[in-house]
Amino acid sequence: MKKKKTAGWYALFTLPLIFIFSLVVVIPFLIGIGYSFFSWDGLPLNPKIFVGFENYVNLFSDSRFMTSAGHTVLFTIFAIILINILGLAFALMVTSKLRVKNAARAMLFMPYLIGGLILGYIWKFIFTDAFQAIGEATGLTGIFFNWLLNPRFALVALVIVSTWQMAGYIMIIYITGIMGIPDDVIEAAQVDGAGFWQTLFRIKFPLIMPSFTICLFMTLSNCFKIFDVNLSLTGGGPSNATEMFAMNIYNEIFSLNNFGYGQAKAIVFFLVVAVITMVQVSITKKREVEMQ
Amino acid sequence: MKLKKVTSVLLAAAMTASMVLAGCGNSSSGETKKAEDKTEAAKETEAPKADKVETEAAKTQSGDDVESAKKIILFQSKVEIIDQLEELAEAYEDETGVEVEVWGTTGDDYFQQLKTKLANNQGPTVFSLAPGAESVQMTSYLADLSDISFADKIAEGMGNEIDGKLVGIPYTAEGFGLVYNKSLYDPSKVTDTDSLIKYLEEQKAADINGLGLSSESYFLIGHILNTPFALQENPVEFVQKLGAGEVKMADTPEFQEFAKLYAAIRDNCVNPLEQTYDKEIGDFATGKSATIHQGNWAAGMFADYEMDFEMGLAPLPLAGNDKLAVSVPTAWYVNSQATPEEQKAGKEFLEWLYTSETGTDYLMNKFGFIPVVDGMENENMDVLSQDVSKYIADGKTITWPMNEWPAGSVDVYLVPVAQEFFTTDMTPEDFLAKLDEAWAQASK
Amino acid sequence: MTNTAKTKVHKSRSVKSVILNIAVVALCLCYLFPIYIILVNSFKSRSELYDNILAIPQSFSFQYYAKAMDKMNFLRALSNSVIVTVVSILFIIVLASMTAWMLVRVNNKLSKVLFNIFVATMLIPFQTLMMPLMQEMGWIRDTLHIPMMDTLGGLIFMNIGFGASMAVFLFHGFVKSIPVSLEEAATIDGCNKFGVFWKIVFPMLKPTTVTVMILDVIWIWNDYLLPSLVLSSKANRTIPLSTFSFFGQFTIQWNMAMAGLMLTIIPVIIFYLCAQKYIIKGVAAGAVK
Repeated sequence: MKKKKTAGWYALFTLPLIFIFSLVVVIPFLIGIGYSFFSWDGLPLNPKIFVGFENYVNLFSDSRFMTSAGHTVLFTIFAIILINILGLAFALMVTSKLRVKNAARAMLFMPYLIGGLILGYIWKFIFTDAFQAIGEATGLTGIFFNWLLNPRFALVALVIVSTWQMAGYIMIIYITGIMGIPDDVIEAAQVDGAGFWQTLFRIKFPLIMPSFTICLFMTLSNCFKIFDVNLSLTGGGPSNATEMFAMNIYNEIFSLNNFGYGQAKAIVFFLVVAVITMVQVSITKKREVEMQ
Repeated sequence: MKLKKVTSVLLAAAMTASMVLAGCGNSSSGETKKAEDKTEAAKETEAPKADKVETEAAKTQSGDDVESAKKIILFQSKVEIIDQLEELAEAYEDETGVEVEVWGTTGDDYFQQLKTKLANNQGPTVFSLAPGAESVQMTSYLADLSDISFADKIAEGMGNEIDGKLVGIPYTAEGFGLVYNKSLYDPSKVTDTDSLIKYLEEQKAADINGLGLSSESYFLIGHILNTPFALQENPVEFVQKLGAGEVKMADTPEFQEFAKLYAAIRDNCVNPLEQTYDKEIGDFATGKSATIHQGNWAAGMFADYEMDFEMGLAPLPLAGNDKLAVSVPTAWYVNSQATPEEQKAGKEFLEWLYTSETGTDYLMNKFGFIPVVDGMENENMDVLSQDVSKYIADGKTITWPMNEWPAGSVDVYLVPVAQEFFTTDMTPEDFLAKLDEAWAQASK
Repeated sequence: MTNTAKTKVHKSRSVKSVILNIAVVALCLCYLFPIYIILVNSFKSRSELYDNILAIPQSFSFQYYAKAMDKMNFLRALSNSVIVTVVSILFIIVLASMTAWMLVRVNNKLSKVLFNIFVATMLIPFQTLMMPLMQEMGWIRDTLHIPMMDTLGGLIFMNIGFGASMAVFLFHGFVKSIPVSLEEAATIDGCNKFGVFWKIVFPMLKPTTVTVMILDVIWIWNDYLLPSLVLSSKANRTIPLSTFSFFGQFTIQWNMAMAGLMLTIIPVIIFYLCAQKYIIKGVAAGAVK
């Protein structure tokens, strides 16, 4: 009797969302998996040819796809580190006793309000025009030149722009975590004579472990999926040196009209990312438990 | 303070919403949602989703005119004319009573949007495409327009025909080549690749950018690479042979000259990768560049500048070429998947656009198009379009085989090669070899 | 300690704090340099922009703002955006918090699987879903006659679906930190699950609720791709959609685009300034062990 009742409540609380979620996300995703076994250009009136696993097999000899995978991994590693360090630093800064903290929060958070496409164009101005101007003015042409023309620096530029955009976003989540730390815990530590760094590492970090898990996951998934900034800042160039996963897939589907093949790439991409993030989440979760 | 109110209202609403959910039990939660969607739709009276409703309305309203719908939907890629197009839609409704709704999207993702909309039967009645590879891919969505009254008046080769049927009505003609500063460049003296290269060297010595390109895909390589293709005896066949691997760019003289020219641009001109379209135009308008490889579409970009020289449009003298590359960038198509009533209304709209006084006035004077249908004239064209017109009248034009290139080849395959060329010391020979390689991949 | 010494200490501390405050503001301003570029160029003509992209404009006339507002049909777009954003977020918060709470409290295999599905789908790139999604919604419209396409309601429905994962993920993380004991007490007092959730749990989730609200407002307010596929007619355009005519295939009308962008982000900044007060310190303090 009681069990039945619990099941009823369970369904009542979860089913509405699951219903919508399935219709909007899960079913299209399953349909998408189905399409990955066809050679098709995405137009319903044009022929769909069943090719079995051919799309998947071809994918592994697609050197450009593999290279883009490499770029994405490299980009993601650097971006995650930088975004989280900066986001956390910002969060600590604006939760301190500063008088300007509210203004600072709003300012730091503003970049995320600008859509990725426009943002890429703006930064393009900076890396081309502003950098050249600075380089000429200071004579430091070794540092201040058009970064977007150099394969390595273009990737760094992408990391910087993504960091600039995402740090404020991640900051919000860290703020929520830091705000959740009870005052008395910190005070007690300070009474015990803990310094700034000690409080930070011994008290604050362990208590915001759940925020770490969340932030790492969000940055990981966002960085792996990076598209808008990639398109508008570097367009994948110079000579494909910054073409990421999502852009490669997008090109396959919408520029080259290989919808089925593009879907296959997307599925593989999804599996890879899913495995990586699951590992990440389980590791940090474990840490969470240990730290507490 | 206000927010507190808002939040409390939100929370109250949230509570009621979940009460409703609770009241209906979980199984009916879907229905709650449906009901809500219905009311939402009822509110949106203008929702054009109702293809069927529309046509039914048309049927009931005017019993004698069951044939054509009272509303058509227009979706097109040229955002520059969108304001005028909306005016035109109003004018059309005033004259004929048929409503024209203009959908909007950015120029960049138009094709992707169109495909997605056609894929779920949400398609517009009349839409635009680039004739060539793009329209061929969409063949099954293109209605036969052969019976349109002005079909035989469309200038030679400008209408888009697929399998002998006219499917696309051209917007305008566009031409590209060298937009040049008349006080710095004399087309009669620069007539082939060698003299052009020599000219670039001289300009470099005079601290002027001889030939400007910019980093956007077509402005970097798409348009300029069109010329060696167009100079082949049969350009379309050449594209096919190249795709099949029967010929190579590396073995074709026009392409060898092209690579030589490209290298001269790298050596003597501003690096195109450092330029954007805006900067390219600005450099030209302020006299820093003597020529830029552009077309008559750029005329509008000069509106903001006070220029103290005259400009013109001349052929790119590659391999002695003395013709402008002229073709139709965009054409109108009618959606063959729309209801017969809508298709009829769509055709009537095109008919009106190209034959009525108001319609042609818009095409010529408001859109600033170059006439492509006999009997139309445009007296206030900008200087660049005038030059294009002149070359058309003299029959000195070459085609745009680039419209036959494999879909997406410029952005996905050719641009990376060009970028590599402009950032390294790649030789012209290596450059051609790499282009051939990229082409083979694009044609797979 | 004498009086003078006290004030000295006080003074030096306040001087230090003033300097620190100024430093932070300066840092933030540097950080916002790209926004400066957006701002100044919303006042420039094409030739002025070419002349120097970094310079302060010759005149601060709001002509491009007026023009942009006119072209965007700003008020209509604003009201559409507000409706879509508010209603979507309302549903996301209510449904996701309830779901997350159940998934935490009923700790069985099913809950774990469901939670993992929610999380995993956050990794799917939207571009791969859009075509099948539109086909499915077109099918629903044609066979069930539910107007999913080109209605704000349809867009809201899809927003709820896409927003579900992240909201569940965030709520899930924070529900765990609330001790069960409070809920048990309420149950003994005769509350059913519904009462327990709304009376006890939901109020404690406030910081997360505000966080989810902020993150979702940004996303839905700025979203371009999904609305561009769902909404076609002019009357339904949201703010990001209404700026389309500034973006040609090869050229952008910078001044209008920048002006449009400023008009788009100002409401969100105001919203954030109001909302952030609600991530109040200590609301959850009693609950965290």
